[in-house]
Amino acid sequence: MDTTVAITQSNTRAETRQGPFWRVTAIARNAFREAVRDRVLYNLVLFVLLLTVAAIFIGELSGGQERKVIVDLGLSAMLLFGVFIAIFVGVGLVYKEIERRTIYAVFSKPVGRGEFLVGKYLGLCLTLLVNVVVMGVGVSLALLYVKRGWDPLITTIWPAVLLIYIELMLLTAVALFFSSFSSPALSALLTFFVFIIGHFSADLKSLAVSLGSTGARWLFTGLYYLLPNLANYSFITPAAHGRAPSAGFVLASALYAFVYIAVILAAATLIFSRRNFK
Amino acid sequence: MKTVSLALVVVVGMACAVLLLRWTDTLRPPADPNAIDESLYLNGKTARRISLGFNGLMADWYWMRSLQYVGKKIINTPEDVSIDSLGQLNLKLLAPLLDTATTLDPEFMDPYEYAAIVLPAVDVQQAIRITQKGIDANPNAWKLYHHLGYIYWQQRDYQAASEMYGRGAQIPGAPAWMEAMKAKMVGDGGSRATAREIYKRMYEQAGEEQVKDMARKRLLQLDSFDQRDILRKLFADYKTRTGKCPDSWREMEPVLRALRIPVDQSGAPLDPSRTAYVLKAGECEAELDWRKSGVPLR
Repeated sequence: MDTTVAITQSNTRAETRQGPFWRVTAIARNAFREAVRDRVLYNLVLFVLLLTVAAIFIGELSGGQERKVIVDLGLSAMLLFGVFIAIFVGVGLVYKEIERRTIYAVFSKPVGRGEFLVGKYLGLCLTLLVNVVVMGVGVSLALLYVKRGWDPLITTIWPAVLLIYIELMLLTAVALFFSSFSSPALSALLTFFVFIIGHFSADLKSLAVSLGSTGARWLFTGLYYLLPNLANYSFITPAAHGRAPSAGFVLASALYAFVYIAVILAAATLIFSRRNFK
Repeated sequence: MKTVSLALVVVVGMACAVLLLRWTDTLRPPADPNAIDESLYLNGKTARRISLGFNGLMADWYWMRSLQYVGKKIINTPEDVSIDSLGQLNLKLLAPLLDTATTLDPEFMDPYEYAAIVLPAVDVQQAIRITQKGIDANPNAWKLYHHLGYIYWQQRDYQAASEMYGRGAQIPGAPAWMEAMKAKMVGDGGSRATAREIYKRMYEQAGEEQVKDMARKRLLQLDSFDQRDILRKLFADYKTRTGKCPDSWREMEPVLRALRIPVDQSGAPLDPSRTAYVLKAGECEAELDWRKSGVPLR
């Protein structure tokens, strides 16, 4: 091919790929590659080992409940490993760029701060997606092994897997939000607190109802609506009993998550835009 | 040289660590035998609250703990015990463990079944409470009514047992024998036929292997009772004819073979586990060979 044509084509390609979408995609792809280079996905090896041991030995210890235990263990490990990745990788996404001073090189290009944050966020979400899908396949294979054939639980676990992934997306956004203005250690701690309190949402609501003082009622009601309600995404136990969430429930939970993520990322962008890296 | 030295430190150090650990193990004071029975520091509701969505996995953990707890006690008991007669083993932690497992995961059926079979010999009120809790959480689970009916039947409260079977029979998907069991309880609750029916259904429906095994052994025991009733009649006939009880199975062998009762080479009739009965010479009575028989003695 004519080099000039190639260059022109390349330039044309470059011109058409200058919108925010392509910039965000480039940053996201890079964030995914970084996570892979940092061996984040090696946790899958530990997960596979865990599930293999469970599939082989759990039957004897659980009185024949190996299917239930595999689903409980597999999905719980998926959530737990995902939470660790969302928190510990998420709080380092921005911090590492600032520490290495590579952030100056990034912003010397026509990249907005919001685009940078969203790109990083999507990159980690892609890493978590790979993680979650591989783990879901692992659990399905383990069920095939213990049942020695098709198991109906294989279809019912996937909506629960989707809800777990949405919860991880929420947590990643929270981690990114805290890391936009705080140190990694404090961001990790705060994100972990949000994870814990998020699972106590039902208790927050009932506390608000049962307390006598108006101030306390307002406080707990405020916390209930301000913090992400993560209890809605816990469908591990029903999935182990072969129950899948309804499509309406999944849709409502997904919409809530996407709205909340948009709010969190917007707030993070607001704070990050005012940040001085010197 | 440096590499070799470091490798040597690793290998020798590991060997020393193993030896030191073995030595420490010999010096450690013996484990407190009562530690296995220490009360749970988390009740079911608190455990559920702090589970952060991992309540199913925690329920599995408590369930496995229950099985290990009972298993350890059985292993440390010299005599052979059936899982539905474990009252002598001091299983005071079993009810809290099963209660916590079912609070963490109210749809987990096996702990309710285990509570209905094993717990009545330990604490019948807890067994009833936990099974009733299961019914409240799973109103469409007809099996739980069967379990509760079984508990009441074991306590000889045939009226309550009948009521439970009746309520369970109303649930969509409940098998027809539940209704039949309701009638049997009222008319014939204490009979061997009712017991056989209950254990037969339990064997068919049980999810847990230990429960299936228990039901199978109880059915063997009922068959053995029937067999020994026949043998007593045969002894009575023999005594009427000869004026004495038989001194060996050889004397009874022709009658046993004529009635097609399976016998071994010595002419002794075989129990349902294919083990020869022992003749109590001079007493007109046959008993199970407690060393070899698979039929429970109690």
